[in-house]
Amino acid sequence: MCRDCGAPLAVELDYFAALGLPRRLTLDSRQLESAYYERGRRLHPDRFATEPEAVRDASLMSTALLTRSYRTLRDPVNRGRYWLELRGEKLSDDNKQVPAELAELVFEVQEELAELRGAARRDRESVNELVTALHERRNALQLSMDEAQEELRKNFAKWDGQSADSAKLSLNLKAILSKVAYLRTLIRDVDRELESSALAKDKIL
Amino acid sequence: MATIFGIDLGTTNSLIAVMDGDHPRVIADPATGNPLLPSVVALEPDGSVAVGEKAIELEPHLNVERNGQIGAVGLAGGEYGAVVRSIKRYMGLGGQELAPEDRHRYAFTDLSGPVVRFQIGSRTYTPPQISAEILRALKNRAEAANLGTVDKVVITVPAYFNDGQRQATKDAGRLAGLDVVRLVNEPTAASLAYGLQKIAAGRVAVYDLGGGTFDISILSIKEGIFEVLATNGDTHLGGDDMDRALVEFILAELPESLRVERYIWNSARREAEAAKKRLSTAESTDLVLELPGHTIHKSLTRAEFEHMVNGLVTRTLEKCAMALKDAGLKASDVDAVVLVGGATRVPLVRRRVEAFFGREALCSLDPDQVVALGAAVQAGILTGARRDMLLLDVVPLSLGIETMGGVMERLIHRNTTIPTSVKEMFTTAVDNQTHVDIHVLQGERELASDCRSLARFKLGPIQPQPAGMARIEVTFLIDANGILNVTARDQRTGREHSVDVKPSYGLTDEEIERMLEEALDLGEEDLSRRLLIQARNDAEQILAALDKQLGEYGHLLDSAERAGIEGLAGELDRVRTGEDREAIARLVEELNQASTPFAQRIMDEAIREAFEKKSVQEVS
Repeated sequence: MCRDCGAPLAVELDYFAALGLPRRLTLDSRQLESAYYERGRRLHPDRFATEPEAVRDASLMSTALLTRSYRTLRDPVNRGRYWLELRGEKLSDDNKQVPAELAELVFEVQEELAELRGAARRDRESVNELVTALHERRNALQLSMDEAQEELRKNFAKWDGQSADSAKLSLNLKAILSKVAYLRTLIRDVDRELESSALAKDKIL
Repeated sequence: MATIFGIDLGTTNSLIAVMDGDHPRVIADPATGNPLLPSVVALEPDGSVAVGEKAIELEPHLNVERNGQIGAVGLAGGEYGAVVRSIKRYMGLGGQELAPEDRHRYAFTDLSGPVVRFQIGSRTYTPPQISAEILRALKNRAEAANLGTVDKVVITVPAYFNDGQRQATKDAGRLAGLDVVRLVNEPTAASLAYGLQKIAAGRVAVYDLGGGTFDISILSIKEGIFEVLATNGDTHLGGDDMDRALVEFILAELPESLRVERYIWNSARREAEAAKKRLSTAESTDLVLELPGHTIHKSLTRAEFEHMVNGLVTRTLEKCAMALKDAGLKASDVDAVVLVGGATRVPLVRRRVEAFFGREALCSLDPDQVVALGAAVQAGILTGARRDMLLLDVVPLSLGIETMGGVMERLIHRNTTIPTSVKEMFTTAVDNQTHVDIHVLQGERELASDCRSLARFKLGPIQPQPAGMARIEVTFLIDANGILNVTARDQRTGREHSVDVKPSYGLTDEEIERMLEEALDLGEEDLSRRLLIQARNDAEQILAALDKQLGEYGHLLDSAERAGIEGLAGELDRVRTGEDREAIARLVEELNQASTPFAQRIMDEAIREAFEKKSVQEVS
């Protein structure tokens, strides 16, 4: 049984258990890193290089789990998703849909990106204008993302405090997670477009 | 514990190093005192082989003879034998993947296949076979220096080497009769050497511009843990390209037919390399090439040279920017910049790297030796001589499988820390499919056709079901060498179909085995003697390991189990110095079998200890 929430542990260690951490949404990144380093130091295949194959295999598998755990829990969005998964609630399917509150924004950004792609083939002056506008857009997206992440952090704390209705909190959490995930995708798309237009510009010059 | 040696198998030079106490040192050629072994292999039509300086002497070039005449000397190529340089540029690549300038340099049997084969008279050689000659020469060098038998090695590879290039390097080791305990990325190895004495903590950028490859790695060093945050690079970019620019400058006025003439090209390359070195200290230099009946004489300033190679340096800095971005850092976040590789001696490189990172670069360890020193440090970590350090490296390129519509679905993203594993569920696209094709890919592009194909295999038969109902679980596991293993399992049949795939680069295990046998036939020791020594080493190793385990974890066995294991160990100990190889091998195998459950328990215990050390209460 899990000490914190009373749920039975999976046969394979879950990511929190693999790092010896409590199953909480709020995690201190330094604490996470030191847990990872401390276990990595003991379990890494380098420590068992001259042992028989069975030992080396076991070390490889434990270290692979450890790395996966660290990578997942280090990122707040992935951590939130994984945590929901442990509770049997999948986010991945809902996530394909654009969150309603972002629909308009997503549409606008896609328009701007398409415009830039179109302009890149025509004239450089309008490209420069569009690039400037897109940089502003990116900054605005980053701000929304920072806000959403702050919101996420507060919800994590609320959940860990177990002060509110869990069904409502879980819905909230899902909504924010998919918002952050979507904003991330948008920022990545904008970055890619800006990068490729910068490269194209270099070639013209 | 057998010594593990560290090897830098470089494009231009190779080195072997070893731990001397708790610090590494490079083993120089006992005859000449040179720490570097030129990575040049001469293959003669009769099958004889020369490596290093001896091979350079056999390279076709123009020679001014005593009477003032200019003669062509050396192996003329093809049926006359060949002198191969930069074999690393061919490792693990098919003919179509070679850089254009590498395609015509030697005689190949066929460039359309997945493996290039050098044609020397009636013989053919694959790149791992030629690399194995360099490894053998390094092994002999260390053994001649009375440092014991070289069996186990760590070999460094460019961080940006793909899976096939890594496999090819491991195969080269096997062909040289070496047990490649670990492949280590070159920039990471360099960071280990620096970490030992110069850098205790912080974020470090290792800029590694070698003869043929460029790597940039960004690491975080903290409490002896060397964690790679991101890596990037180009496996076809290096000092060779600078030399080529200079060769073209020297030969600019000659007609094409003469420029490609091997004697002339090689002689120009030698002069180019020397001029490049002169320009590292001098402001200008004269380039002289004596041809029969004509002397080419040109002068070149450093500024002109820098203009020639500036674009190449720009390309490396673009890779640096990408690595920083992947690491989530700005150039100003980096606490130290380390220069590795001979080409970083070019002042322009140093200047532009320092401008890019906004700080002075470190090069206090010899840029030609630092990778080999780091390889020896990693060897020390593996033998337990340096338990205070640990390397956490990353996979340089994303790995995935082909899904509907020829799209590459990434399972492991680039710059993921290794070892790691990922499981993902896939399903069928067509009703009543009885087989699933799994196509394993490596690369950053969206379309499967633009990525490198690592392996293809069929999983089946699976139970026929409507489209989308089958559940195929695909597991990717990357080991500490950065080498991938793929397993696919049909979850609905009840039975398990499990396929292990070792992605290859075109050479099958059987082919390697055959080359191995050939190599052994040609070897100095005969096969049976070699196998006997191998068996004795195996016996020694397992007995030593068992001794240690019984001491530390004896309590995990009951008395009957212990008696069984000790009985076998005693028997093995009696026969292991004898001549009966089969008896030794059989007992090693039996002892291995008998102690496998024990090994498992030890591992469980070690994991339990690790996980329990900090209790949940302590850390929360």
